[in-house]
Amino acid sequence: MSGPLLLAVESSCDETGVALVEDGRRVHANVVASQVALHAPTGGIVPEVAARAHLRWIVPVLDEAMATAGVTMDDVDAVAVTYGPGLAGSLLVGINFAKTLAWAHGKPLVPVNHLEGHVYAGWLLDPGEADKEAPPFPLVALVVSGGHTFLVEMRDHLDYRLLGTTVDDAAGEAFDKVGRLLGLGYPGGPAISKAADTAVAHDRVFPRAWLPDTYDLSFSGLKTAARRIVARARTDEGLPADEREGGTLADPVVAELAWGFQDSVVDVLATKTIRAAEAIGARGIVLGGGVAANAALRARIAGEAEARGIAMVIPRPGLCTDNGAMIGAAGARRLAAGVRAGLVLDARPSLPLAR
Amino acid sequence: MTPGGPILVIDTATTQAVVALGAADDGVLEARSWTAGYRHGEELLARIEDLLRDRGTPPAGLGGVVVGTGPGAFTGLRVGIATAKALAHALELPIAGVATGSALLAAGARAADGATVALVQPAGLSDRVLSRPGEPSRILPGGTDPELRPGERLVAVDLEGRAPDDAVALGHAARDELAAALLAAGAARLAAGDADDLARLVPEYVTLPRGVRAKLPDDAVEVTGGSS
Ligand SMILES: [Zn+2]
Repeated sequence: MSGPLLLAVESSCDETGVALVEDGRRVHANVVASQVALHAPTGGIVPEVAARAHLRWIVPVLDEAMATAGVTMDDVDAVAVTYGPGLAGSLLVGINFAKTLAWAHGKPLVPVNHLEGHVYAGWLLDPGEADKEAPPFPLVALVVSGGHTFLVEMRDHLDYRLLGTTVDDAAGEAFDKVGRLLGLGYPGGPAISKAADTAVAHDRVFPRAWLPDTYDLSFSGLKTAARRIVARARTDEGLPADEREGGTLADPVVAELAWGFQDSVVDVLATKTIRAAEAIGARGIVLGGGVAANAALRARIAGEAEARGIAMVIPRPGLCTDNGAMIGAAGARRLAAGVRAGLVLDARPSLPLAR
Repeated sequence: MTPGGPILVIDTATTQAVVALGAADDGVLEARSWTAGYRHGEELLARIEDLLRDRGTPPAGLGGVVVGTGPGAFTGLRVGIATAKALAHALELPIAGVATGSALLAAGARAADGATVALVQPAGLSDRVLSRPGEPSRILPGGTDPELRPGERLVAVDLEGRAPDDAVALGHAARDELAAALLAAGAARLAAGDADDLARLVPEYVTLPRGVRAKLPDDAVEVTGGSS
């Protein structure tokens, strides 16, 4: 490979990421400062705190990325940055930092949609990883995170047709909510996955919101049902129904409930993804977003894709959660397509991927 | 970086954004301000480029950067400090963060003929921030007025119609001299080799949601993916 080297900056939510990516695929460095521990005491992201942490960490993360890749700005061909969607205050830090770096070093600036970054994580190769085939078109990408849940069709690079999206909450939000209900803390995703792995019985069935005849998804009903199911499990164990009134469920019960909830989310996501892939004649499926780090979801979709001869691409968990490398991967395609941003580039908190 | 080169001054804490070029000895060479509203992100870098071009100063000819750190509007402070940090990093400039509140107090005191002054600025829709020389800024909840000490005069910035006329007038006078006050404080520090750590420079936040500040662990951030 000997394509352009991109410096890529991501700051749309609560991770500060800077990466160096060659030719849209090969990662030379991918440094992320995660604020998960910072936001844990408040049980969710406080936007003012997130923006301040981005300002605090962006320079050390940049320095660490340059040192890890062993390059200087002279080696960099372009600067890519997430300009939306995301938290306005968080986006502003990365955008203005990247914009000014590009200007001061005389490099082109490439604006990248955070959501296409999650899709393009599927193209990345870690340092030292053997070359492998790029995801084949046409493909279906499922992006699932704390902020986003959607299915998109791609027939070529940068060509997106939205197949379906959540009509209410993102899947990751439901994980956080149920994580709290079960006393597993924040963030809910990894904690629920871990608890579910230890479940012995698999007979606590949570409802599925199928929304027939559409690829749209819904998780708010599942959240409501989870509250009811957990409350009943608590009263069955002689605890107050409301988890905020104290008392904790026994670990095996928590594990069963975590499994039941996770199984509902995985079942709906996997079924709709496979159905969409079959409908468009997809040769590939790409998974992205923080919830794509969930082992049960990965295993289920991988198994069903393999049975149908569809190539399955799931980045390793560290590339599914927010990071700069995915912005570098998408940025390279935009650079090749001639996309540039001027000095007036501003945050687009509600930027859509496709209409 | 050009040692002894002009110092770039940036402040985005008030509704009037400021960019200026100056020197420790000669004071402000040129200051420009404009009503930024919430559009700092679209305008700041372009305004800096214009100023440097019009003054014939290439970016590499700068000698340092001074940036106002608030208190003030979140949007503006993020844009201003992110921009200042990237300039300092790219051009290897020493950076000095100066509290916008202190600079406005210094400028306000001069405008009030040396009287002791207290500064009020808006914080959100109804609260205000009260700053006094040498004291930490604090929040005045909506409806409470600052209790002035004997002989003290009030400087009100961005509070047109929400503060007494003479305080608003002093605020205008102070803001007109904000670039000079920031330059005086920042240039002195840069000349003394007292630059800020580029990584640790952050805005002054006095308006975090109630109850949140006390809960937050300092620097609870995990950095992964590096080799060192
Ligand atoms: Zn994301």
